[in-house]
Amino acid sequence: MSVILNEVRRSTYLDSIVLMRISRQVATLPGVEEAGLVIGTPANKDILREAGILGPDGDKAEPGDLILALRAEDSAAGEAALAEAKRLIDQPAASGTTSPVDAPRTLRAAIRDMPDANLALISVPGHFAIDEARKALRLGLNVMIFSDNVPIADEAALKREARDLGLLVMGPDCGTAIIGGVPLAFANVVPRGDVGIIGASGTGIQEVSCLIARAGRGISHAIGTGGRDLNAQVGAITTLMAIDALDADAATRHVVLVSKPPAHSVATLVLDRVAQSPKPFTVCFLGARDLALPPNARAAATLEAAAELAMGATSATAQAKLPLVHADRGKLVRGLFAGGTLCAEAQIIFTQAGLNVASNVPAPGASPVTGAKDGHLMIDLGADEFTRGRPHPMIEPAVRDHALAEALADPEVGVILLDVVLGHGAHPDPAGHLAAVLAAGALVPEALAERDSGPLILACVTGTDSDPQPRAAQVRKLTEAGVIVAESNADAARMAIMAIGASNR
Amino acid sequence: MTLDTNVMQSRDGWNIRTASHADPDVVAPILRAGILAREFCRGGAHAEVAAVFERSLYLRSADIFVCLGAPAVGNGPLTLIANFGGSNLSDLGFRPGRPAFICDRYIAIGDKARFPFDRCELWRRPRWPRAQSSLQLTEVARAIARLTAAEAPEEGLGRLSCWHERGAGETPLMRLARPRVARFQSWMNDVLEAQRDPTTASLEPVVGLIGLGPGLTPSGDDFLAGALAILDALAERQAHAALARTIAAAPRGLTSPLSDCLLRAAAAGHVGETLCRAISAVISGAAETAVAAIRHVGHSSGWDMLTGVTTTLAVVVNARLRTAPAKILCRARQTQSKY
Repeated sequence: MSVILNEVRRSTYLDSIVLMRISRQVATLPGVEEAGLVIGTPANKDILREAGILGPDGDKAEPGDLILALRAEDSAAGEAALAEAKRLIDQPAASGTTSPVDAPRTLRAAIRDMPDANLALISVPGHFAIDEARKALRLGLNVMIFSDNVPIADEAALKREARDLGLLVMGPDCGTAIIGGVPLAFANVVPRGDVGIIGASGTGIQEVSCLIARAGRGISHAIGTGGRDLNAQVGAITTLMAIDALDADAATRHVVLVSKPPAHSVATLVLDRVAQSPKPFTVCFLGARDLALPPNARAAATLEAAAELAMGATSATAQAKLPLVHADRGKLVRGLFAGGTLCAEAQIIFTQAGLNVASNVPAPGASPVTGAKDGHLMIDLGADEFTRGRPHPMIEPAVRDHALAEALADPEVGVILLDVVLGHGAHPDPAGHLAAVLAAGALVPEALAERDSGPLILACVTGTDSDPQPRAAQVRKLTEAGVIVAESNADAARMAIMAIGASNR
Repeated sequence: MTLDTNVMQSRDGWNIRTASHADPDVVAPILRAGILAREFCRGGAHAEVAAVFERSLYLRSADIFVCLGAPAVGNGPLTLIANFGGSNLSDLGFRPGRPAFICDRYIAIGDKARFPFDRCELWRRPRWPRAQSSLQLTEVARAIARLTAAEAPEEGLGRLSCWHERGAGETPLMRLARPRVARFQSWMNDVLEAQRDPTTASLEPVVGLIGLGPGLTPSGDDFLAGALAILDALAERQAHAALARTIAAAPRGLTSPLSDCLLRAAAAGHVGETLCRAISAVISGAAETAVAAIRHVGHSSGWDMLTGVTTTLAVVVNARLRTAPAKILCRARQTQSKY
């Protein structure tokens, strides 16, 4: 039976950020159903009453007091949560945050400020990244390198050095990680859970973690390796160390590996290590064929399949009512992707369906763009040729506008396939931008499904409702703009194939 | 930072006196003082440390709270800026309850720290820039509402515009706040159209927001501070005075003493530098600059203020657009009467 517990601290003032952080931490403690940490004003008591967590003690609080109120599933859970909350309230400074203005300027200063830190995120121009990462390693820190343009030989040397020190190097060019529930760089807000992810791909990690989160499960850790870790020259050093880490992590019960197909020798190395693990693995080497998997591993051909295998359940892929492309339109599909792995996944689904597809970053089975009539075309707008000197399309969706206008105007294009990637680091309102662009192009939403001009527009939205851009609101904006939103990127690709009449599911 | 003659600079930039045990351990000159803070200090008072954060602490004397903070906290009417050399105040041993002495020349906290005023400059809010047209202000309000809805944290009122309808996922705060903000909008509309005498009108539409929501300064208080500031910037003097009088007339005890002090300062026309920057950007038509100005204010405080700004701005602009034809006709009649 649920219990309500209130703790009142007289005349206590805590910084707003500390209040919010403690409030969120308490709400996620085991057995806690609802929690709030607010000053004891009459209006706030109304809020706690509305939430069903105001007890007699809280009701007596004064406006200068701090009320900690929680409802737990039983008294043991409630008392444990209350004790933890009191500890957090009494030690706000130790876990305080630092403003950008006061941010330390050197790694040593940062360590002085936060002696318990064990990870440094390096985001400096590529020329300097290795030196900074080496400094961090020598200070005993694991490293995530967001920077790109690091020579592969330097990457390999750095990772060997880190391995000797027992430290992990995520990256270079590592855009996504979730460590202990903390999203780093481009990552989504997902609940903690028992699935660990190791990924050489940022949007691959994002799509898998979000599909798992939207199915009601959670992520223990998501460890990015950088796109070249499975290259023969690097030899999967980070991937192997990440497997060690997740093997040792009691909260992780299932591990997902996400990557482009590795070099054969490296695949053997990784799969041999997987075979030694007591935990089940899902291996999603997008486009890889004939993998010799050990008994504790299963292969997933797509990110969606990887999420499903990790959960042991199918994800929700109920499709929107899907019209066929109008007879007057061409039957080509044009994919315009912000996420490189999402682009690769779409290509693989097309090739698996027996369709020829070209890309500026071709996945196995796809062709490079020739400039002539390429047929179905999947463009990774995050590739270097589009982002040199410009922001990535996940940060600035306008990067896609020109390509989108071209596709809308091309009578051969029957379906446009898009991805909208949410989360920390991403644009604050990518769907709003897309909707505005479509509106400016005089596409009338109501007539979209039956209009006699313009292609169908299909999209996936990689994100969760807890993201800074809540997914439900983003989906609504797209739907109102006439975009058909699929539950996953794989589903969007399959719907595109159905819409051109090339296949049925 | 500047050193006194008998002061050594520590490794981290703090001034540590070594000459005499009778002298304070720490001397940090106050660089700038907000107008209310300086006025209060000139009068002298015994106070105590009420709260200590990383970059600032609050001194309390009766109902007055004065913030003593590092430059990063930004100027404000009740703020004194001192150079702490980048150190965290929370590391220096100040604790709530510690006595402080305030006089015209310095502030002393216990016998450990002294903050002299001899190099202090007065900070005043800069003048508001010229406001854009009503139509342009409508656009900027919409743009900010979009940015706020997308970026504001779940806590607070920033995502108010997402919740026009009651729905799943709506927080208890939002369930209570939505109708209260609607009543505030209606009240403000009536005041602007002079349909309600604010001296006799119900206090409830304003009072209902005071003390509402999370944070050191509750979201509702921040919302009202934003509302007051935008009314001032748009020279809506009657509405500003009506709102200020209503806040002044509200019973004590609706919000924390600290937030009450800041809200009453805002009602008297005194708001902080960050909100000033945001408001200036809003009325200049720079939505993204406005959002950038408040993005790092507290956890949700900046967003709450901006929600108050845009909510009030929308009511003001609607009222102006509605009354514009009448004013034009009136001016036309006056012109005709001259001939």
